[in-house]
Amino acid sequence: MTATAIAPDTIVGTARLGRWTHPGAWWLWSLLLAVTASRTTNPLFLILLICVLALVVHRRERPGGRTFTFFLRIAAVIVVIRVLAQMLLGGAWGDTVIATLPSITLPVWAAGLRLGGPVVLEVILAGFYDGLRLAAIILCIGAANALASPRRLLKSLPSALYEFGVSIVIALTFAPQLVHDIERVRTSRRLRGRATRGPRAFAGAALPVLHSALDQSIELAAAMDARGYGRMGTAHARERRFVVALIGVAVIAGAIGLFGLMAAQVPAVLSWSLAAGALGAAAGALVLASRHRNRTVYRPDPWGRSEWIVVASGALTLVISVLTTALSPLAMNPPTDPPTWPSLPIGALLALVSAGCVGYLSTSRPEETP
Amino acid sequence: MSHAIALRPSTTVALVVSSAVGLLAFLWPFLITPGSQLASQSSIVPWLFALVMVLVLAITFSEFIHARIDAKAIALLGILAAIITALRPLGAGLAGIEPIWVILILGARAMGPAFGFVLGTVSLAASAIITGGVGPWLPFQMIAAGWVGLGAGLLPRMAGRREVLLLAGYAVGACIAYGFVMNLWFWPFATSLPPQLAFAPGAGVVVNLEHWWRFTITTSLGFDIPRAALTAILILIAGRPILDALHRAARRARFQPQPMVGAS
Amino acid sequence: MIEFDDVSFRYDAGTPWILRDVCLRIPEGEFTLVVGTTGSGKSTLLRAINGLVPHFTGGEFLGDVRVHGRSIRITPPRELADVVGYVPQDPMSGFVTDTVEEELAYAMEGLGVAPTTMRRRVEETLDLLGLDDVRVRPLVALSGGQRQRVAIGAAMASHPRVLILDEPTSALDPGAAEEVLASLQRIVHDLGVTAVIAEHRLERVVQYVDRVLVLEPGGVREGIPQVMMTDAPIAPPVVELGRLAGWNPLPLTIRDARREAEPLRRILVGRSSQRPHPPVGVRRATMDSVDAAYGRTPALRGVDIEVRGGQVLAVMGRNGAGKSTLLSLLAGMITPTTGHVQVDGVDPSRLEGPELVRHVGLVPQNPTDLLECATVADECRLSDRDARVLAGTTRALLALLAPDVRDDTHPRDLSAGQQVSLVLAIILASRPPLVVLDEPTRGLDYPTKSRLAEHLRDLASQGHAVVIATHDVELVAEVADTVLILADGEVVAHGPTSEVVTSSPMFAPQVTKIMSPGIWLTVADVESALAEERRA
Repeated sequence: MTATAIAPDTIVGTARLGRWTHPGAWWLWSLLLAVTASRTTNPLFLILLICVLALVVHRRERPGGRTFTFFLRIAAVIVVIRVLAQMLLGGAWGDTVIATLPSITLPVWAAGLRLGGPVVLEVILAGFYDGLRLAAIILCIGAANALASPRRLLKSLPSALYEFGVSIVIALTFAPQLVHDIERVRTSRRLRGRATRGPRAFAGAALPVLHSALDQSIELAAAMDARGYGRMGTAHARERRFVVALIGVAVIAGAIGLFGLMAAQVPAVLSWSLAAGALGAAAGALVLASRHRNRTVYRPDPWGRSEWIVVASGALTLVISVLTTALSPLAMNPPTDPPTWPSLPIGALLALVSAGCVGYLSTSRPEETP
Repeated sequence: MSHAIALRPSTTVALVVSSAVGLLAFLWPFLITPGSQLASQSSIVPWLFALVMVLVLAITFSEFIHARIDAKAIALLGILAAIITALRPLGAGLAGIEPIWVILILGARAMGPAFGFVLGTVSLAASAIITGGVGPWLPFQMIAAGWVGLGAGLLPRMAGRREVLLLAGYAVGACIAYGFVMNLWFWPFATSLPPQLAFAPGAGVVVNLEHWWRFTITTSLGFDIPRAALTAILILIAGRPILDALHRAARRARFQPQPMVGAS
Repeated sequence: MIEFDDVSFRYDAGTPWILRDVCLRIPEGEFTLVVGTTGSGKSTLLRAINGLVPHFTGGEFLGDVRVHGRSIRITPPRELADVVGYVPQDPMSGFVTDTVEEELAYAMEGLGVAPTTMRRRVEETLDLLGLDDVRVRPLVALSGGQRQRVAIGAAMASHPRVLILDEPTSALDPGAAEEVLASLQRIVHDLGVTAVIAEHRLERVVQYVDRVLVLEPGGVREGIPQVMMTDAPIAPPVVELGRLAGWNPLPLTIRDARREAEPLRRILVGRSSQRPHPPVGVRRATMDSVDAAYGRTPALRGVDIEVRGGQVLAVMGRNGAGKSTLLSLLAGMITPTTGHVQVDGVDPSRLEGPELVRHVGLVPQNPTDLLECATVADECRLSDRDARVLAGTTRALLALLAPDVRDDTHPRDLSAGQQVSLVLAIILASRPPLVVLDEPTRGLDYPTKSRLAEHLRDLASQGHAVVIATHDVELVAEVADTVLILADGEVVAHGPTSEVVTSSPMFAPQVTKIMSPGIWLTVADVESALAEERRA
């Protein structure tokens, strides 16, 4: 992750001036924003955060992505379900009754729940705030999906996992072709006097496509073999022993650490440090295993200034929101009982601005798909 | 008939360890005690376990790669994962209409348990990338699908009609189990539930089991039963031709070709 | 430098040997062509050079192959990737990434080449193969010729010393094939790479190569092209004409042949290819001012054609000119945006499957699209049921078209020619008056092609109307009596074969180019004219 001094992408005469931001930066940014969202229930803040996400996605999305609208739909469904669940099942604590639904009590075998009854504003608000928070977290993940190209993320996979990256790339490359093939075969089967509509036609077209896909996989494997796939590089037995030792350490420390975290008597510091140590050992084993693979990457995505800016903006958002919560906890987690109009402290506004400024980064984007 | 990916001691150990960690990561609501760290900081639990699962899966994969995976196995893996990826958007999430399990179970049956595990993980990952569903749930979906493939590969050898019936029966069990397990992942974070169904950190194993069971019956079964039914029906109808195609591919691929004979 | 030492190979004990005691020496820097009928072991020979046989395919392997001193018995293909580059038959099936640049860099990534070196080599390869303007395009958006060149570039980018290509021009139109062969020439002459190529379409390749290997059941013979072609079992038309006229040395290029052909042209002045006029049969299909589109992109504009029984119409044109669209319209697979298509008086797109097969039969570009059973016998029985004909009809037709196909073979294990025959038998079972074939000669060797041509002529003489889309000009010269040339979706030429192909250098068969200004289409025509002249 070092910034490259030479700018290999600015070759004059090609259409590659400008480059895509490293996908890992977007994921870190969105994870930091997700953590920010999970620490507050202020609906104004959350709604504005969602708007900021939509804005950044709109400005910087890689072409061909409709993922963010898909996630928006899911988020809307989550909020609606949450509010409805509260309305039907939420109980009746609180004073402000808005309406009264007819009440049904389910029999004992269906958990003896009581549906309906008086609909109380406090209960609804609590559900709404909670659903909104979950929706914001989901949308942070959605923004990461929309902004980060998974293919370029696969290129950044450690060399120890290279073969799995290859199989995922193969899957992503051939899936659209298969859909094409099924269409073609389905229409061709009419030439044998078969129907082209209905599930039988689809099923009948599937088998020739399956056969040719399987045959194609063998041709693909021959081509991969002939191009040098599977060279293991120079591996020393000693390095392998190190890797195995690290893995062993990771497993044992991780097991103890996790049990410690789940049990009450073990001191927190010990558990957390064991868990952290285990994760570090596992990561170290991966790095070590990658080192002797002797593979290089063509035009890797450099981690440069724009990547640091993206991550910094996410970190800044989190820090400002933590400070704001410490200074004015009631504003960031407004109570629902009694219901009060939420307010937006200055700190929250600053945090939002910091998250949104990446939408206006100066890195120019190339025209083609990554 | 040789398996596409051979099971060596190192990879078997890796599978066992990763499955153990996976089980832990799914079953933590029942194993947790009230005063512990995870109980008090439950908002970071999904991310913590997601990170753990990612690293565990990564280590498992690196062990498989170290034990050498053939180009043919990787190509076959990619193509079968492509088929699953192409099929995944079909149900559009409607009530468990997921045709992908047919290919996973039959592919695992034809190519062996190690291949089945890897196929489950890779195909869920690839299809999540295309359908845009990458998130903290993904490592859990991956390992659960890996278990489905692993199980299908471990089923006893049978032939003919009985093989298809065996696989259809396994499909019913595996699809419902997958649903239960993914439901279990989601359950502790479902804060909108009435108390008889919700996760109660302090209440002990038996009570939580009851709550979870009620939760599953009211929500997840609506997805799991259609999924299991669709998969079983598809296997009964189309299982034989699909299996024949896969067996033929395995034969033509000649995994682990015979050593050369004859004088130089 | 490639050496074969007593190499024998077969897939399973008990099956016949594919290669038997092959001994060869291919010197460095030579452009070698491997020639042989389908099943003679060309692909196996090629794959033995980079170790795919036997490490990838399994099987019993005797002897050894040494490439630049490295023995393939002990070296698996991945370790030979820096010495031998392999270009598979279907380039799309060998692509691992999704853009041109990444594909070129893939082999180098595996070899651990430094990033700056990779960058430089990718640029060099793009220049060498003329791919600079498509460098960032996704691979699925390229034409067939461009894909083939990317596949060659991907194999060349790691600077191998040997390049092996399995039928690189079989799916390409003449223009694209020329580009690919010119690139290969450049690679061999400028870079000193040893190239070994297997090809059925000898007429395209034989003048470029330094050495020819002929694979026969008895063994392998090698020599320079002029010598090998004098008695090779399969030869391009220029060589057959040379053998007929007794030219010595045997010319391999059009230019050389024209010089030798002067006396022959003088003898035959005033004569020309005799083609019987197509009998005026029933009008079987018409297209009336038809425009068609694929989605939004227009594919055909203002096409008017008429096909009658007993006629063989060849549709030619560059890849992407609209040939497949035209055929799909005739088979009712797509509907025109304007104009009418009629087959036997009805609109084929309105016909349901069982009705459709009684009017028109189409052999698609991928014949295996129509195959779904596990054995040839099952496929024929299914076809009888689909076409509602007597049991055994399809099998009898198949026995006529391809007598050597066994009942228990898996249809996908058949050779390309046998698959075309099987699908043709399935189509013909319902005796449709209009028979349409889309690129039937891809991957077929000369004997199979002439058998197919014979069958098509038989079909025409029985009253069927036959339409073929192809860019195999030799087949067109042999079998078609009317030719239609499409370019960019419009008809640019339409008329009798002898008029259309003789007026266009791109679509003229070799005999035409050699014997012009006389109108001659095939060697058989010249032979019969000579016989008549001698009798006269």
